[in-house]
Amino acid sequence: MSPTFRRLAWGIVVLSALHAPALRAQKVQTEAEQRSHMEMMKLDCRQCHTCESPTTTTPCLMACPRLTVAQSSGKHVVSEAPESMVLDKLADQYQGVQFDHKLHAGMAEMNTSCSTCHHFCPPGKIPACVSCHSIEANEQNLRQPSLKGAYHRQCMNCHREWSHDTDCNVCHLPVGKYAQAHDKTDPTDIMGKAHPVVVAPKMKSYVTPYAKGPVVTFYHEEHIELFGLRCVDCHQKENCSYCHDLSKPQAQKKTMEQVHSLCSSCHQNAKCSKCHDTVERPAFSHASTGWSVGRFHSRLECRACHPTGKRISKVNRDCTSCHGGWNQSNFRHAVTGLQLDETHASAECADCHENRHYNLKPTCAGCHDDKRDFKAVPPGKYVTVSRKR
Amino acid sequence: MSLRRRDFLKLTAAGPVAFAAAATLPTSAHASPAPDNAFDDAYGVLVDTTFCIGCRKCEWGCNEANDVPRRARTEFDDKSVTTVHRRPDATAYTVVNQIAAPPETPQPVYAKVQCMHCNHPACASACIVGALRKQPEGPVTYDAWKCIGCRYCMVACPFQIPGYEYAKALQPRVMKCGFCAERIIKEGRKPACVENCPNEALTFGRRRELRSLAHQKAVASPGRYLDHLYGETEVGGTSWLYLTGVDFARADLPPLGSRPVPELTEKIQHGVFKNFVPPLALFGLLGLVMASQHSGENGGK
Amino acid sequence: MSEHAVPMRSPYFTRGTLAVLAVAVVGISVYLGRMTFGLQTFTNLNDQWPWGIWIALDVATGIALAAGGFTSAALVHIFGRERYHSLVRPALVTAMLGYTFAVIGLLADLGRWYNVWHPILPSMWQGNSVLFEVGMCVMIYSGVLYIEFVPIVVERFKGRVDLPGVLRALNRPIEGLLRLAEATLSRFISVFIIAGVTLSCLHQSSLGTLMVIAPTKMSALWFTPVMPALFLMSAIAVGFPMIIFESLISSRSFRMAPEMNLLSRVGRIATFTLGFYAVAKVVDLTIREAWPLAFAGGSQAIMFWVEMIVGILVPLAMFASPRVRSNPRGLFVAATLTVAGVAINRLNVFLVAYRPPFSDRSYFPTFYEMLLTAGLIATLVLIYRAIVMIFPVIAAPHGTADDRSAAENDRRAA
Repeated sequence: MSPTFRRLAWGIVVLSALHAPALRAQKVQTEAEQRSHMEMMKLDCRQCHTCESPTTTTPCLMACPRLTVAQSSGKHVVSEAPESMVLDKLADQYQGVQFDHKLHAGMAEMNTSCSTCHHFCPPGKIPACVSCHSIEANEQNLRQPSLKGAYHRQCMNCHREWSHDTDCNVCHLPVGKYAQAHDKTDPTDIMGKAHPVVVAPKMKSYVTPYAKGPVVTFYHEEHIELFGLRCVDCHQKENCSYCHDLSKPQAQKKTMEQVHSLCSSCHQNAKCSKCHDTVERPAFSHASTGWSVGRFHSRLECRACHPTGKRISKVNRDCTSCHGGWNQSNFRHAVTGLQLDETHASAECADCHENRHYNLKPTCAGCHDDKRDFKAVPPGKYVTVSRKR
Repeated sequence: MSLRRRDFLKLTAAGPVAFAAAATLPTSAHASPAPDNAFDDAYGVLVDTTFCIGCRKCEWGCNEANDVPRRARTEFDDKSVTTVHRRPDATAYTVVNQIAAPPETPQPVYAKVQCMHCNHPACASACIVGALRKQPEGPVTYDAWKCIGCRYCMVACPFQIPGYEYAKALQPRVMKCGFCAERIIKEGRKPACVENCPNEALTFGRRRELRSLAHQKAVASPGRYLDHLYGETEVGGTSWLYLTGVDFARADLPPLGSRPVPELTEKIQHGVFKNFVPPLALFGLLGLVMASQHSGENGGK
Repeated sequence: MSEHAVPMRSPYFTRGTLAVLAVAVVGISVYLGRMTFGLQTFTNLNDQWPWGIWIALDVATGIALAAGGFTSAALVHIFGRERYHSLVRPALVTAMLGYTFAVIGLLADLGRWYNVWHPILPSMWQGNSVLFEVGMCVMIYSGVLYIEFVPIVVERFKGRVDLPGVLRALNRPIEGLLRLAEATLSRFISVFIIAGVTLSCLHQSSLGTLMVIAPTKMSALWFTPVMPALFLMSAIAVGFPMIIFESLISSRSFRMAPEMNLLSRVGRIATFTLGFYAVAKVVDLTIREAWPLAFAGGSQAIMFWVEMIVGILVPLAMFASPRVRSNPRGLFVAATLTVAGVAINRLNVFLVAYRPPFSDRSYFPTFYEMLLTAGLIATLVLIYRAIVMIFPVIAAPHGTADDRSAAENDRRAA
């Protein structure tokens, strides 16, 4: 008889002997607890009970396996989460907290997603904190924080890292006798609002130990623009403190592989010289492609013209290849700096722009014989063009 | 002459604590630890410093609940004071300090300091009038009206907890945390600091349950905690227990043995006064010497 | 009672007395000030250092130096060394005043001095408290000392009560009271004497137990479980030198020849009591292996050596030398050093050895604290002088034969 089988057989004997007390033992759990523990989490009894025959008096429970539970969570996405919610179960003590769930979920997405906070998130609807963490402390299980403790531990865990601030009024507006004593929350405080615009660095220059080309110049903004990247595409597994923790310890030493993995995930099989150089490289200039982006096109994101993702596609330089629908009635000529007078406004585009080659010099010879120049005798008046859209 | 010398030896040796016998005391007094669980069913508090965020809400709650100089609520919003090492005193039964933590610790570590409510309190053993008493429910309480103000309790306390109202000419008090005794015993509530702690770094309950809770925690997160529950055995056990992730000495918890601090003095005291036999024996012995001297003198010398 | 002890005849106020009076007046003013304004204004006491020199000097040293009372009583009355009879009364008065002023000094230190009687109430008895025992013993022993003083009062006034004016009516009752006291005491005085010695042994040792309650706060140079035994031994050791010290000062002050014959014999006794104490201290330090601390440097080590060398070894060597003992100056220096040694020991145990675990400062007494201590000593000296000038306390110098007969008279009377 194999040991496993013997143990199993013993287990059956013991279980049947203790069948009645075991059932009684389960009755002390609430229905919700039973369901959550037995079905939703798909737990084996031994994951929590250390002995063969737990009873109510001696349940021989292990400490709540918070981490293992988190791992066994179901898959959830941020979009299914509520936008915002009000935490006001303890409103008699503090005004309810306006909690921007979506904002926090977004931040959590950079980390381990929902389970960053919802350590118990089985498939289906994620249970609310209060469904386990009662408002009054659970006398039976001192290990389990009450709702107040659960909220605070959850929030403060990140907020401390994030701002080194434990002030109540970051989240709470005080009520009652303490209301006067408090400064009013600063309305520009980002906790009340969305995150302000993150000022991404334009360029970063790294000095590496690579002898042949120690300098790696990385144009951050350019990458975002060129490739339409979102922050999380590169900044994975980072939380608030990556930016906000001013006292964060020195960056950990990374292996060669880790350093390169970030770039090589896109720049696959690139040569070293793709990034490494002996001097700082200049930023990408569109002029180097032979087509300088002018006043108007410089405002566009790269993918407005190069829409095909990571590889940059060639674009037909003819204006009409993009602006084919323009004619004298729907093109506001003033944006070019020249407001046409009434006479010229009614002219066809091609009257001046030969063959609709807008990048060439316009001609007046189509109507005028005096070899006039459009600069000397303008077909309207010059205006100042606002750079703003 | 030889007779006289003998008499002096007699006189000096007649002291209630014989030198040679007493010299052996230290070894026996610091023998193997014997955890005292006499107050395991009494109330206690487990301080989990790893959850303490140094918000000073316990200080505020304590200030509101106790008869100490009332301070403006906003004073407790100033977190900068936690960076300066403070001790409980006549105006504050509890303080939170930022602990000098190892540099690799990502977040500042804090620890609350207050009376530990020893199972065998040295202060109560020292108190000449029994103003300080260990209540069966756990708290070590103070009856100001009994106090004569000798401050021997302050000398005795191994944690250096009691403060004194030196500034008062009349009715100065010994000031120390009383575990909100009235509140927890009569009203069935939690101590003010525990009630006020937002992060539930403080857990109030029966000492037995707190001990098992602490051990569960330490087993579940070995990286988070040192494998020692401070106060479980220290000075014979304390009602307040501490879990930390850093050296306890940094958290104002000095390294102390497992023997109750007043054990030795009580042993000496009760040895000297055992049913008043030793004093009466000394009295009798001296009487005999006196009588024999007088009869001897009358007889011849 | 002794026929040879007589009230001293001398002008009360001399230049020296006036200087002492000035100190006493200043000290008493500080005392009143402390009682009015509280401890904070006048002392450097704080939460870290709850005890200062008022406990270490006024109380602990005061009681130790009053040990002459019980050592001389034991020597003469219990162990029958009648030769030293003339030393008993001055020592008794010293002890009586010493204890009284220890209590007065204690009152200054007590936050609620008006509650000092609380330990008497059975409802507040606290058998575990060392201080309770010390308090009760000191209280009872002070009573015993006062009772032992009564025969001196009787001797002075019996048959001589002559109150002026309206108080004349009280003459007869007071006279009767004195006779009653004499009759009662003559029967029970030995009980009081033995009780006095027993009580002294108890609380002199218990004073040493006081700091045993703070093992973690005390330097191992002084902390030992046998501290009570050491305190008792040092009290016994300082008892005789204190008698020598006083006797020499008195004889100088009242322009009498020092009783060198008697005092050098007392000095010989002191050699043994002090030697015994010194050996005990060395053995204790050796058993506890505390010697390395003595060589560790720092204020504690320095104070340890001052105590050991200046306060114990030097006077011990001096007392051991017959040449020094026969010289009043030498004897005085040896006695003074012993007295200082015990005072330093008490200071060391209560203040120097004490190191609170979380201290950010050290304790040094304020000028006021020192003034108050000095003032109490000065007041004690003044009252002592008054007592020895009113009552028959100090014996006029006599031959040994007379001493013997006086002693025999005493015994018969008893």
